[in-house]
Amino acid sequence: MNLFYDGSFEGFLSLIYEVYHQKMNVTTILKKNPHKFIFDEVLHVETDLSKAHKVFSSLKKRFSKNDINTIVRVFLCDSITFEMCLLEFIILGFKKNENLQNINYPSVFYIKGLEKEHMRLTHKMLGFVRFEELEDKTFYAKIETKFNVLMFLGEHFSKRLGNNPFIIHDIKRHLAYVKHEDMKEIRDVASFDEPLYSQDEAKFKSLWKNFFHSVAITNRTNIKLQKNLVPLVYRTYMSEFHD
Amino acid sequence: MKLTIDDKISILADGAKYDVSCSSSGSESNYKTGELGNTHNSGICHTFTSDGRCVSLLKVLLSNVCIYDCAYCINRVSNDIRRTAFTPRELADITLNFYKRNYIEGLFLSSGIIKNEDHTMLLLLQTLRILRHEHKFNGYIHVKLIPGSAKELIAEACLLANRVSSNIELPSSKSLALLAPDKTKAKLLEPLKHAREITMERNAKPISMSTQMIIGATGESDFDILKLSSALYDKALLKRVYYSAYIAVNNHKNLPVRELSTPPLKREHRLYQADWLLRFYGFKYDEIVTPQNQNLDIQFDPKTFWALSNLHLFPVDINKVSQEILMRIPGIGMRGAMKILQARKFKTLNFEDLVKLKISIKKAKYFIIADKNYQKQIPLYEDRLKIALMHNDKSIIQPNLFDFSIYTGEL
Ligand code: SF4
Repeated sequence: MNLFYDGSFEGFLSLIYEVYHQKMNVTTILKKNPHKFIFDEVLHVETDLSKAHKVFSSLKKRFSKNDINTIVRVFLCDSITFEMCLLEFIILGFKKNENLQNINYPSVFYIKGLEKEHMRLTHKMLGFVRFEELEDKTFYAKIETKFNVLMFLGEHFSKRLGNNPFIIHDIKRHLAYVKHEDMKEIRDVASFDEPLYSQDEAKFKSLWKNFFHSVAITNRTNIKLQKNLVPLVYRTYMSEFHD
Repeated sequence: MKLTIDDKISILADGAKYDVSCSSSGSESNYKTGELGNTHNSGICHTFTSDGRCVSLLKVLLSNVCIYDCAYCINRVSNDIRRTAFTPRELADITLNFYKRNYIEGLFLSSGIIKNEDHTMLLLLQTLRILRHEHKFNGYIHVKLIPGSAKELIAEACLLANRVSSNIELPSSKSLALLAPDKTKAKLLEPLKHAREITMERNAKPISMSTQMIIGATGESDFDILKLSSALYDKALLKRVYYSAYIAVNNHKNLPVRELSTPPLKREHRLYQADWLLRFYGFKYDEIVTPQNQNLDIQFDPKTFWALSNLHLFPVDINKVSQEILMRIPGIGMRGAMKILQARKFKTLNFEDLVKLKISIKKAKYFIIADKNYQKQIPLYEDRLKIALMHNDKSIIQPNLFDFSIYTGEL
């Protein structure tokens, strides 16, 4: 059986509901309606909030907190087709919770590996995000990441930046984490204008670049290693790599 | 000519860059609502310089003026270089602004000796006070303790900083006498001992401390160096010892000739690997180096070299042996050992299983038994194994080979 759903978390939970209750034998799961029907049979699973809710509460009953976090993290690896493995992972967990520790199952190994990849990306981004100060003293950062890590970044900087308002703008996903006083939330961003920067912004960028170039030791230059550690895809918004 | 603030940061970062004892990991989180900054347990790299080193902290000197003349140091008084200083306020302002833009985890502050030790330590403290008291800054601060400064100043530094350090600089008193006649090992270690005492009095846990040794400027062997590190770790005086390949910036009669010297990067790398074995893998220094074999092998990493000299202990059965022994298998790191422990609870692992678990068996295969199987092409003799290992190990210098160091900001 080939299934497709709308790509949302609720949609995926609804899909689990149907698979479970109708004892489906699934072969493929797609995020969107395929343009051409390449398969003999494609079933559209509607997103149903009450079904999603039921699945989620039984997940919470039967799975450890860690395993639920794993599921959520893997779901945020949105540029990858993880659905079949995640479905298998969840089915294994429902059968016997201990299965989820058994990394000899290919799906368990894969899901745990993907979770780690998501964590590594999050951790890298904690360092590589760059804020710029706007005219109104808001700190504004643009990001473009392979996976959706916005929520984790938002939480990290909410703790870190104290009373300073900030925005982290996920350009490709059209999302923004906005923190202002006690309010923090993730918003959709339909369109935006380039903001105005504070007067000090250029000064500190220049100091930063000078610092960055001065701490390098020329006798030890190793550009290849640098490229492994900060691959080019991360450099778009890191001013030290631009003149 | 008056220097701009851009000139200053270039000069004072340049003067600090040879100090490698710079990471921000290992502090517990200390977040307070509404205040600026917190520390992160696993350390964060904000960028990597063209030499492939992690930038985690704003590493600068308050001033590169110095009254001393240590032979190996770029800032020594006899060098004709541009001299300058930040005011504490200037530096605090840059730190805060860098921090808010997420350029850094915090500040790593050191200085040449201006006028005298106490005066210098006071200026460093002044910067820390502005950050901590005026701005309620909770980010990471690492400050150098100036050897020879007053005890009260060291006590205050321990209150304000997350980590303090004082560099041993050279691995023996003899070398110090040759190259830094104003310093003695006792004088350099004194502020660390003192810092430990006062923080232990305040609360049971000592403040986190580290030191740095310059490698290759003087004649000590790796045996001498690792013995010293191991003693410092055993006494729990230090959390980290950093090794810094000597980079010739000066000429001096007691130093290697500048034009002929290249930094011993491979040796530095091997020392870090050996240090890692001391701290996390349960090795004793005299298992890795011996009075007969004083230096680490350049061809093979210390663990492989150890295994080659102890072949009577191998092969080991990965389905049976303890975690300690798993971690002693060449090519199996901490993560690999954890995966094996986890997976073998459910089944007896064979070679194929290891590959599925993405554990590299390139090196390990010569040293293990898996489900009654072991590799049979190469007999377990030192010389035969060496040739086999050399063929599949085209290692290049990569100072960040360890399991998770890349992500933690630990060098
Ligand atoms: S005291 Fe420090 S800064 Fe001064 S010359 Fe010696 S090593 Fe350099």
